[in-house]
Amino acid sequence: MSLQNYLVISAILFTLGIFAVLTRRNAISILMGIELILNSCNLNFAAFSRFVTPPENIDGQIIAIFGIVLAAAEAAVFLAIILAIYREFGSIRPNEVDTLKG
Amino acid sequence: MVIPLISLILLCPLAAFAVFGLMSLARRSVPRQDYLSTAAMLIALVCSLLLLQHVVPNPSPHTVEWIAIGNVSFSMGFYLDSVTAIMLIVVTLVSSLVHIFSMGYMHGDPRYPRFFAFLSLFSFSMLFLVVSDNLLGIYIGWELVGLCSYLLIGFWFEKDSAANACKKAFLTTRVGDVGMFIGMMMLFTKFDTLALYGEEGIFAQAAGLNTGDMVWLSIAGVLIFCGAIGKSAQVPLHTWLPDAMEGPTPVSALIHAATMVAAGVYLTARMFPILTETSSLAIAYIGGITALVAATIAIVRFDIKRVLAYSTISQLGYMMLGIGVGSYVAGLFHLTTHAFFKALLFLGSGSVIHAFHAMHAHNHDEHDAHEHAHAGADGHEHTHEHGDSELAHAHGSEIPPDQDMRNMGGLRHKMPITFATMLIATLSISGVPVLFSGFWSKDAILGGVLERAMEWNSVHHYLLFGIALFAAGITAFYMFRLIFMTFFGEPRNQEMHDMAHESPKVMTVPLLVLAVLSFPIVNKLWFNDAYVTPPKQPHVHAPAHAGLQSVPTRDGIARLQNTQDSKGTFSLFGVSEALADEKTAVEDGAHDTHADEGHHGHSPAHNIAMVLSIIVAGLGILLSWLFYHKRTLSAASVATTFRPLYNIFWNKYYFDEFYNGVLVALTVWKARLFAQFDGSVVDGIVNGVGRVTRDGLAAFTGAFDNRVVDGIVNRVAQVTWAIGGRIRRIQTGAIQTYLLVVLAGIVALILIFRAL
Repeated sequence: MSLQNYLVISAILFTLGIFAVLTRRNAISILMGIELILNSCNLNFAAFSRFVTPPENIDGQIIAIFGIVLAAAEAAVFLAIILAIYREFGSIRPNEVDTLKG
Repeated sequence: MVIPLISLILLCPLAAFAVFGLMSLARRSVPRQDYLSTAAMLIALVCSLLLLQHVVPNPSPHTVEWIAIGNVSFSMGFYLDSVTAIMLIVVTLVSSLVHIFSMGYMHGDPRYPRFFAFLSLFSFSMLFLVVSDNLLGIYIGWELVGLCSYLLIGFWFEKDSAANACKKAFLTTRVGDVGMFIGMMMLFTKFDTLALYGEEGIFAQAAGLNTGDMVWLSIAGVLIFCGAIGKSAQVPLHTWLPDAMEGPTPVSALIHAATMVAAGVYLTARMFPILTETSSLAIAYIGGITALVAATIAIVRFDIKRVLAYSTISQLGYMMLGIGVGSYVAGLFHLTTHAFFKALLFLGSGSVIHAFHAMHAHNHDEHDAHEHAHAGADGHEHTHEHGDSELAHAHGSEIPPDQDMRNMGGLRHKMPITFATMLIATLSISGVPVLFSGFWSKDAILGGVLERAMEWNSVHHYLLFGIALFAAGITAFYMFRLIFMTFFGEPRNQEMHDMAHESPKVMTVPLLVLAVLSFPIVNKLWFNDAYVTPPKQPHVHAPAHAGLQSVPTRDGIARLQNTQDSKGTFSLFGVSEALADEKTAVEDGAHDTHADEGHHGHSPAHNIAMVLSIIVAGLGILLSWLFYHKRTLSAASVATTFRPLYNIFWNKYYFDEFYNGVLVALTVWKARLFAQFDGSVVDGIVNGVGRVTRDGLAAFTGAFDNRVVDGIVNRVAQVTWAIGGRIRRIQTGAIQTYLLVVLAGIVALILIFRAL
């Protein structure tokens, strides 16, 4: 398994994430797309750390773990916001929450 | 010793007033303001008497610098010569006696303490005027006495007549004061100082003027005399003095008979060295006319106080006449004697009024009813007697019943002390020979006038002598008319007569003291004419000076010596013959060419004047006796015969009517004119400016503001609004659109970096 394989998978994940964020009509699905993007990032960190830097240097992996923690925290905050939005608007469809429309 | 004594004289009355003022500010009343003020005056009197021995013939003024403006400095100071000393004694003596008299007369008045405080303030002002050595100080005192006169005339300000009288007095004297101020300023511009004495003083500088300045100096002298015309109630500004009788009678005695009105005479005497021939003649004429006019008006008055008021005006005229003809000493001597006997007459009339007035208070209601009934009856009777009551009522000259001589009569038994003292004063003012002071002083003036007339052979002075002589006869007539109507005959009003009584001791004692002062012997104690020498008037013809030697009493004494040859009498008069001779010698030295002529000239003049004045006085008294006591002649029939003349006298020469009809009407008309001018022109301008501002300027700037300024602001806002309206569409509110844009941005950036 070379670095290239990891990067391809990461790119696919990222693209899928973007696609989900831009197209889904449900806030939960958007959250899931964001998770995909984050994880593609983490994969890149880990892959570069394994193949590019010396093996004793594990900074990349550590950042990947931080990223996972970050993703967990982000999910919690995101879900709380979604809950609040639902209470306020009775819906979690992002195109219906357009109070800031100019 | 001079300065502390003068300071004490000034400070005592001032302190008495200040105590009242400060206590009033603290809203407390002084327990015995009457004692305080009287004590202050008595101290001042004692100091004045002590000052007598410090009088020296040619004193120098005691001055301190007061204020300096630029390089002009004004000094304040005292000047003590014989005239000052005499005036100090006259003022403090009369003032003290009036204070004492007032304790009885004003007793029970609601503003009793204030009365005494005002008397103190007046005394201070008058004394300040007298001792000042410069015109500025005199002017300050002058205005202060005017103020006090105003306050005291209007003391019973609840009465409309009193309130009007005080305003009239204040305004009328102010007319003269304006002239006086202009005169002072003329002197100031010429001499650069207001000080009278000293090397740089006005008199010293005026003596050095050449004849070309005489016209100018005459004008200045006459203008300063205008102040005296107002203050001493000379024609034509005399109308305030009779009205001033609305004040309490002690005030009339102190201010409007003895002291303040004499301030004008004093001022004229002070300014004697700058009086030229022309201004002297003007003064003499004013004095002579005043003496005659006032005396004739006095004949027909029925108000006891008004008779005395006109008599005062007349006597002041005599003094002015005396000074105007150069009989300086005679004028001042008459001032002194007049102060005492006229104060006595006023206080005596006050005693009579008090006697009636006290009854007023006792049975007020009953009396009021009676008064109305009586007023009707009296008016009726009056119609029969004089046929002029309609005039009396038409001109609103209602006489208070307690001052109306038609209510009096037969009072000599009821009020013996008042009667006796007033009789002495009347004999004095009428010029009854030898024993009474008025004879000497009046005769001195008459003699002075005749002497001047004979010396200069001047028609003016012969005319003035005639006027003065005639007025002297009238004086005797109306004064005895007063005495006969008040004290003799049967009581005309039985009810008022029954209630009348002699006044308390506090009032009769001052009367007795003043009666003693009406004898010439007493006056000689301080009127030492060896000291009272007339200042030189270098601008008057030389022979005039010889006439100035006519020291009144010396002539009298000379005559006395001729008849009685009694050294004893002579020494009683207190004149040192040695001093008199010495003075004559000095003057002879100075004017040796004229001295003999003058010396010979004045003796016959004075003898003629004396004989004539005795004759006219006797004639006046005789006529008065025939008219008002014996009643062999009827006043009513004479009044009807000379009805036009009587009307003129009764209406006081129509002076008031003239002033009301012409001056007041003119002033009102002028005021209306100015009001109209104010209403149409000034208001028109203001309104026009307002309208132009509002309709023109303000409208234009308003339009500019609305169109241009607001236009710009609105246009900017509209443009911004329009742009905003377009741009806001970018804000869709849809998150995914934003994300898409972000993505597109990132892709674009990547592509740009790749291309680079």
